[in-house]
Amino acid sequence: MKNREGTLYPRVNLKRHGRVGRSAGIVVMSWLLASMFVWHLALGATSLPMAAVYDALFHFDSSNFNHLIVKSIRLPRALVAVLVGASLSVAGALMQGVTRNPLAEPGILGLMAGASFAVVCAMTIFPSVATEFLPWIAALGALVTAIGVWFIAQSVPGGATPLALTLTGAAITAFLGTLISVMYLLSQDTFEQLRVWLTGSLAGRRLDDVTIALPAILAMLAFAMSLSRNVTVLAMGDSMAKGIGANTAWLKGQVLMCVVILTACSVSLAGPLGFVGLVVPHTVRLFVGADYRWVVPYSALFGAIYLLGVDAIARVLIRPEEISTGIITALVGGPLFIYLVRKRAH
Amino acid sequence: MWFVDKSHPKVLVIRKFGEHFSLRLGIKALGVLLVLLIACILLIMLSLSIGSYQLSVQQVWQVVWGSLPSEHMNTVVWEFRFPRVLVAMLVGAMLALSGSALQSATGNSLADPSLVGISQGAGMAVVLLTVLLPQIVDVWRPWLAFLGALSVAAVIQGLSWSRQGKNSIRFVLMGIGVAAFINAITSALMTYGQIDQAMSALVWLSGSINGTDWMDVSLLATWFMVLLPFILVLSRSISTLKMGEVTAISLGVSLPQLRIGLVCLAVGLAAVATAVVGPLGFIGLIAPHIAQRITHSGTGLRLLITAVVGALIVALADLLGRILFEPIQIPAGLMTALIGVPMFIFLIRRSSTGRA
Repeated sequence: MKNREGTLYPRVNLKRHGRVGRSAGIVVMSWLLASMFVWHLALGATSLPMAAVYDALFHFDSSNFNHLIVKSIRLPRALVAVLVGASLSVAGALMQGVTRNPLAEPGILGLMAGASFAVVCAMTIFPSVATEFLPWIAALGALVTAIGVWFIAQSVPGGATPLALTLTGAAITAFLGTLISVMYLLSQDTFEQLRVWLTGSLAGRRLDDVTIALPAILAMLAFAMSLSRNVTVLAMGDSMAKGIGANTAWLKGQVLMCVVILTACSVSLAGPLGFVGLVVPHTVRLFVGADYRWVVPYSALFGAIYLLGVDAIARVLIRPEEISTGIITALVGGPLFIYLVRKRAH
Repeated sequence: MWFVDKSHPKVLVIRKFGEHFSLRLGIKALGVLLVLLIACILLIMLSLSIGSYQLSVQQVWQVVWGSLPSEHMNTVVWEFRFPRVLVAMLVGAMLALSGSALQSATGNSLADPSLVGISQGAGMAVVLLTVLLPQIVDVWRPWLAFLGALSVAAVIQGLSWSRQGKNSIRFVLMGIGVAAFINAITSALMTYGQIDQAMSALVWLSGSINGTDWMDVSLLATWFMVLLPFILVLSRSISTLKMGEVTAISLGVSLPQLRIGLVCLAVGLAAVATAVVGPLGFIGLIAPHIAQRITHSGTGLRLLITAVVGALIVALADLLGRILFEPIQIPAGLMTALIGVPMFIFLIRRSSTGRA
């Protein structure tokens, strides 16, 4: 069983991509991210020339209408895309490593449902609850769900296999989904307020919302980097990790905290965006191999680029209307999930 | 002719048409079935009398047998409560049988129509209609839901098929993945419709039996009557499948045909039920398990008991949801989810999923 799982990750000859190559890759990706960011700012119902975007960022003039659009609407949105893309991708990568489950992802394993449920509850019961608290409420929901799912799957005879984890996650998601609809039925105001948010949408965020979540996300991304070496060890399997001398329980606890906070921050910013944590790490592994010291930073960068791109498509495909970003991430991610399941059987 | 087997005094044997048709039925299981059916009737009486307009059991009895105490009571019983409880029971029975068939076909005791994408397919079709053509939602909803469930089930079947034959784990995983994918699209579609239409779609999505009428009853009853004989006919092959694939094949069961038949039946049953009341989770998980617990019997009789148990659960869930927080109606879907999740956890801990 373990060997079969192990072969799921592409066997990449580590020597082929040297340290230099992969470092250069980081630089290229950073450049790509920066240019995507500016392009994303220029794009929209009215396209702006790059020069105007540049001026709005560095020579802001509050009487210029275009500058106001960029600063108050597009900049927060682009920042949300970057932050959420990076955190969900890193969270997915870490989960796949620690659970040794290629299908692990905050959405599939129920964390997003937990975070959403917590937020919907809070908004229904305390409609005036301050937005500062929402990330923490979401984190609490995600944490409880994550621990629940993990323990249920762990207690299955045979351990937390991909099937056990995925089934448990699906059941918990179904359950919380029902609870969320009931919450909506009890309070139509909440539904009106949250129905857009609950599909995973990047629209309508203010710069304030971003600044609340920013420090936590940056801290957790750094933390994920520092953990990445140990995640590579954990991904080899528990007995191997223990043999090398890793304190697996403590490590798993740290990774869990990191994943939960990253998921919660992105849910509170953009709602439950499915499949991002599945698509990005798997793509990244194709290029950099199974070493998490590279998978984590590449996932963060590529996740940010990916979500900027997806969001740009969502905004321009049926201009001036918008498609929900969640639809497009699902459209990309669903087929990948299917591919992974099919591949597993061979 | 029918007689009690002398060597096995606990078994009733029925033989007809020479030796061409014979059944062995456990007497204890028959007794259980009888008790459950009586419980069903009691529950119907209870559902008819309890509510915001209280009726005594006597009054209900009078109304049901045609002697009218008052026009008002007649309306309450015949127009509101009777169809509702019958719909609940039929839906429960169909979902329970659907779950049972799926579990036999996949060899996985955790398969349930709501876990493998059938309910979600119906949900997406209905929400899509709500967004695109809100005027005709009420008329076409059941048909569209049926179509959605059927096509999603077909997609999952097609995707989990490969040259090496069917793999039941892959079927379940594929179902979960497709379900998550469709859920994302459904909830995104919810943002486009008018708020009141989205709200009504939401009521349907949470699995509510509120507001059903005799049309629904006749639709469900027809399909139930059509599909039930098929699953009973298949019950013998199912019981050989329980002994293992190899044994089943050597006893002359054609496994691919049996599996396709079972999955088609499961999809049909779940699709019709979902079309009428919306996605109602976990019944297909709970009912077969309870049935297995309370009696040991042959497959055919157990399927019947499963259906009755499912009927009882949904009717009870609907009754509780109706009266617990009056005047707010809690959708039956919530009640079944509340019972279903602990049951799921209990089941998955005992299952051999991990080893599969």
